Amino acid sequence: MKQLLNQNPKILLISALLLGALFILPLVVTSPALMQIFILIILYAYFTSTWNFVGGFAGVLPLGHSAFIGIGAYTSTVLFQTFGISPWLGMIVGGLLAAMMGVVIGLPTLKLRGAYFALATIAVGEGVRVLVENVKQVGPLMINGPSGISIKLTENSFSAFQFDSKLPYYYIILAMLLIVLLLTYFMMNSKIGYYLAAGGEEPEAAEALGIKVSRYRLIAMAISCFLAGLGGTFYAQLMLYIYPKSILGLDLSFEIAFIALIGGRGTILGPVLGALLLRPVSELTRIYFGSMLPGLHLVIFGLILIVVMRYYPKGLVEPVKILLNKLFINRLGKQGGPDGTDSAEKAD
Amino acid sequence: MSLLEITRVTKKFSGLIAVNEVSMNVESGQIVGVIGPNGAGKTTLFNCIAGAFPPTSGSIVFDGKEIAGKKPYEICRLGVTRTFQVVKPFASKTVLYNTMVGAFAHTKHLHEAERKALEVLEFLELGHKKDVVSKSLTLPERKKLELARALATEPKLLLLDEVMAGLRPTEVTDMLPIIRKINETGVTIVIVEHIMQAIMSLSEKIYVVNFGKKIAEGDPHDVVADVDVIKAYLGDEYVTTQH
Repeated sequence: MKQLLNQNPKILLISALLLGALFILPLVVTSPALMQIFILIILYAYFTSTWNFVGGFAGVLPLGHSAFIGIGAYTSTVLFQTFGISPWLGMIVGGLLAAMMGVVIGLPTLKLRGAYFALATIAVGEGVRVLVENVKQVGPLMINGPSGISIKLTENSFSAFQFDSKLPYYYIILAMLLIVLLLTYFMMNSKIGYYLAAGGEEPEAAEALGIKVSRYRLIAMAISCFLAGLGGTFYAQLMLYIYPKSILGLDLSFEIAFIALIGGRGTILGPVLGALLLRPVSELTRIYFGSMLPGLHLVIFGLILIVVMRYYPKGLVEPVKILLNKLFINRLGKQGGPDGTDSAEKAD
Repeated sequence: MSLLEITRVTKKFSGLIAVNEVSMNVESGQIVGVIGPNGAGKTTLFNCIAGAFPPTSGSIVFDGKEIAGKKPYEICRLGVTRTFQVVKPFASKTVLYNTMVGAFAHTKHLHEAERKALEVLEFLELGHKKDVVSKSLTLPERKKLELARALATEPKLLLLDEVMAGLRPTEVTDMLPIIRKINETGVTIVIVEHIMQAIMSLSEKIYVVNFGKKIAEGDPHDVVADVDVIKAYLGDEYVTTQH
C-alpha cells in the first residue's frame, strides 16, 4: 500500500480524477444501450486483465482463455437453474473450478515454449466448446448443447444477481476491474511478479537463480483462471442467456489476446486501454455489418495489430503514456511546482 | 572437508562422450580453474554440476549432499550459483531489477531484496548503473551483471562459465580483481576459462580437460609445463622444442 501512495502525486491526482469520473459516469449517461457498451468495455478490460497474469507476465501466449470464462459462466448458471443456488456463490465455485482446470491444463502445457503453448491452449479452448456443444444433460444438470441456457428471470434481486437497471451491473464490474488491477499491481511488485518476469524472459537464467519457473507459471495460471471464471458469471448474469459460441468460442479468446497485445501486455493499464479502443470497434461492426460480415471486427483487429506491432511492439500504452505526460503532467507541473509538492500542499 | 567432490562423472549425448570419467575436488575458499581447448567438455561438465542436465553416471557431492541429477533451482537453493558463457540478462528490465531477482532467493520482501541487490551492485561497482535497462549495457557490464545476479543469491560456490570470454585485454585486467574480491568474501569459485593469463593468475589449482578426459591437475605452473597439456594446446611438435 505504501508503494502505491509513494507514486508521483500528479499521477495519483490524475488517477483519482479518472476514477471519480468513472464513478459518476452513469449520472451523465442514462441510455441503457450506451451503459451496456460501457459495461462491456469494462468487462473486456477485466477479462484481459485476468489474461494478463499469464499472457502478460509469465511470457507465454494463452489463446484459449474463453474456456475458463465459460466454465465460470456455466457453473454458476447451472447451479442456479438446477438448485437455485445464488450466482454469487456459484461465481466462487465456478472460479475455483476454472482455477482447477487451469492448473490441470497448465501442468503439461506451461513447460511448452512460445507457439507450442499457444497452440495447446487453442486446442483446449476449442475442446471445451465442442464438449459443451455436444452435451445435453449431465444427471440433473441441463447443459442444452449448442442452444445454450436462458437464465430463469426473477425480479430485481441482489441474491439472484439480476437487476432491472444497468446501474448495479456497471458498479459491480467496475469494482471487479479495480480489484484485479490492484492485484496486478501488487503482484508486479512482489517476489512472484519478479520471478514470473524473470522466468518469462530467460527461463534458463531464472532457474539458475533458484526459481522453479513452472511452479510460478502455475500460480499465475491459477489466479488468472479463477478471476476469469468470476468474469464468466458476471457475463452470464448480464446477458441472462449463454450459449457455447458466445462464451466458449475462439472469437472471445482471440479478442482478449488482441486487446492485450494492442493495449500492451504485461502492463497494468494496457488491457484497459486496449478494451477502450477495441470494444467500440467490435460494437460498431456488429451493429452495422453483423448480419453481412460476422467476425469483421477480428479482421479489423488483425490489421490494427499489425500496425501497432510494427511501430509499438510493446503496445499502445507506451506512446499514450508519453502523450499524456506531455499534455497533462507537464501542464499540471507548471501550475503546481516542478516536483508536484505544491499540488500536494494545496490539497491540505 | 572438500566443498565440492566430483567422482568419475560421465556425460554422453547419444553416442558422443562429452565428459569421460572426470573427477575433481574443490576445497572451501579456493579458486579452481578448469581449462581445455574448444569442445573439450568444460561447459558440459559445468552444466552437469549446475543441473542443466544430469550426468550419465558418476557422483557430484556438494557440502556433503549428492546433487547429481538435481534441478538447477534446487542446486541454487543449496548454495551453488552459476553464470552463463553467453550472458542471459532479463533484457527488458533494469540492472537493479535483474539483481533483485537473485536477491529474492533469501527473502520475500521487496525492500529487503532491494537492499541486498544494491549492496551487491555497490560491491561490484555497478551501483551507478542500477536504473539502466540491461539490454543497453556494454558487454563487460553485462558480464558484471551476471556476477551481480549470481552473488545476490548468496552462494557458497560460484561457477563462472567464461566470464572473461569476449572481453578486451584491458577489460580482463579490470575483471581479475573483482573475481578475487568475491573470493575474499568467502565464496569458493570454480572458473572455466580460455584466457590462460587470467586463469593462471587467479587459480590456486587447475584442471585440464581434453576430449572429455581430465589430462592434468595441480598447481598452475606445473600444469602448463605438463607434456600432455602442451600437446593438447599446441600440438606434438612443440613438446620437444620447449626444452
